[in-house]
Amino acid sequence: MTSTPLLNIEGLRTYFYSRSKQAFIRSVDNVSLAIARGETLGVVGESGSGKSVTALSVMGLITAAPGVISGRIEFTSGGVARNLLENLDRYVQLTEEHGRIMGVAKDAAGWRKNAEHLLGRVRGKEIGMIFQNPKAALNPFTTVGKQIAEVVQLHTSHKGVGEARERAIHWLERVKIDSPRLRYDNHPFGLSGGMCQRAMIAMALSSEPSLLIADEPTTGLDATIQSKIVDLLAELKQDIGITTMLISHDISVIKRLSDRVAVMYGGTVVENGPAAEILAGDAASRHPYTAALLASIPNETHVREKTPLLAIEGEVLDTINTPAGCRFYARCNRVTDKIRQQCERCEPDLREIEPGHRVRCWLYFD
Amino acid sequence: MKLASYRPIALVLARELLITGLLLFGVSLVVFTILYLAPGDPFSLLLEGQMPTEEARAGIREAMGVPKAWYAQYLSWLGHMLRGDFGTSVRTGLPVLAETLRVGFNTLVLTLGSMLVTLLIAVPIALYAAVRGTNWLSWPLTMLAYLVSALPVFWLGYIVLYVFMHKFGLFPLAFGFASSQKLSWLYFLLPVLVLGVGSGTISEVVRYLREEMGRVMEEDYIRTARAKGASVWRHAFKEGFLIPVTEIIAAKIPFILGGAVIVEQVFNWPGMGRMAWQAAQDRDFPVIMGIAILAAVFVRCGTLLQRVVYVAVNPRASKE
Repeated sequence: MTSTPLLNIEGLRTYFYSRSKQAFIRSVDNVSLAIARGETLGVVGESGSGKSVTALSVMGLITAAPGVISGRIEFTSGGVARNLLENLDRYVQLTEEHGRIMGVAKDAAGWRKNAEHLLGRVRGKEIGMIFQNPKAALNPFTTVGKQIAEVVQLHTSHKGVGEARERAIHWLERVKIDSPRLRYDNHPFGLSGGMCQRAMIAMALSSEPSLLIADEPTTGLDATIQSKIVDLLAELKQDIGITTMLISHDISVIKRLSDRVAVMYGGTVVENGPAAEILAGDAASRHPYTAALLASIPNETHVREKTPLLAIEGEVLDTINTPAGCRFYARCNRVTDKIRQQCERCEPDLREIEPGHRVRCWLYFD
Repeated sequence: MKLASYRPIALVLARELLITGLLLFGVSLVVFTILYLAPGDPFSLLLEGQMPTEEARAGIREAMGVPKAWYAQYLSWLGHMLRGDFGTSVRTGLPVLAETLRVGFNTLVLTLGSMLVTLLIAVPIALYAAVRGTNWLSWPLTMLAYLVSALPVFWLGYIVLYVFMHKFGLFPLAFGFASSQKLSWLYFLLPVLVLGVGSGTISEVVRYLREEMGRVMEEDYIRTARAKGASVWRHAFKEGFLIPVTEIIAAKIPFILGGAVIVEQVFNWPGMGRMAWQAAQDRDFPVIMGIAILAAVFVRCGTLLQRVVYVAVNPRASKE
């Protein structure tokens, strides 16, 4: 990458405290990601791999304690890079023992205040976000149109009521809602899930943000609606060319829209590179987890030849007691005798195997 | 709001008014039956100390034009009431409607004032606790609200009277309208404060509003509001504040009216409660009936308010 990335996440850790287990759940554990201007980064992984929590951390929307505890999130707008986690260490103190975090002291109120201050200019204006389950994500007590017009009034130069209304209708048209003028006065309960998601997308785009975070935009929708939403996103990507962080567990969605892909497992990124290489390249040059994930998806050959699907053996990683070695070691089917000891004991780094393609696996260390 | 959106509200109003009519009929029948069955009647009181004979009783009954059978009495009362005539007080001879409306207004002032006091105290505590959870400030405040709500009104009333009037003489003793003292309006303040604090509504508001607002704050659409940089309060207002508050007010009006009876006694406030008390002592049936009807109207008004707000705010409810 030549220019500075639009969003650069470094060493992000977001932990939650489980009262019943008296331990930290390491939802996001040392995640580093970068999104260049104009590209779409797809983030894939199983449920609980920390995809959504990463996105929510960027937006400062983590409400449960302790939440984001360390890292850097650098967002560049207007040529100025700003760390969205600035002064984090002033509010969060970590007690470490043998490299393990034993306790977190967090001034939650101060931290929240600081986050609100830092994110005030960014949320909605610079970064738009769309969520899964669009029906619940829209305010059921207000009309869809007013919710979009609110964003227009807050973040763009269209401050007048009538102006904002026209602008909101423009965006509703843009996301291909039929008869947008009528839909403007509809409440979310009167719209289908697909229409709600279109309205959500219109709302996120209406402030003309430089980054769009789409958190599982097709989850909870019918299959036919899903593909239509994906079509819409693809079209918008072409027309507007907005930088997007696309989070999904649906590889077909990721394949369709992403330029680059980050594969997450157990709260960390295990592979990161160009979409074409990771999703279409040969299995030998991928992280074993990515390979297993891709093999577990039905494709045409599977259907035609009726071959059984390859499920990934074992359980999803327990993010409370993360192993000392590779996170995927317990489920990995490509461990060789040569590297077994390393896999068990030490966690590998993300290593570049080709330009722009990094893998976190001992297989690629010579 | 467009004209079409007023239609559901009008529908709800019509339905609620119909229910109110039926309810008032039921209330009047029940109260009348109880009065009829209860020992004592206004005539023996009028003739007290005169060694009434059966003839004298019959005479006075006839003079007042009261039929003998209870249902005939009720029907006659109902007939008059429907024409807007609530009769005259047996004791004072004044028209019941005008009298109850006069004292009803005083009680309304007391009730609304005390509700305002309750909300002013309870709402900030509830909202603070809803957003911040239990911490060093919200916990003691909540406990204080519970403690204060547990104080009985009659006790609080007398303590306040003693401390502020007898001990320090801070407030004038006579009722505001009658007194010529300069700061006589201050007199309004004490009973309103006492009823507002002591009616037990504060803890209810704190508990319910905190729960509801806390729940709404966790909703997905509030997260969306935050993500788009909009005011969280604005989005949470309808579901998290307006609906629960009107619900509690509607549910608590009977209790506040009950508390008002005591406060009016203690502070010599010429309201409905005091008049009801007096009328009950005198077996002044027309007055008791009038007040029962007015109290029922008050309670229904609260429910009406709650229903209208709910339908106006909640677009789903209006589709039903």
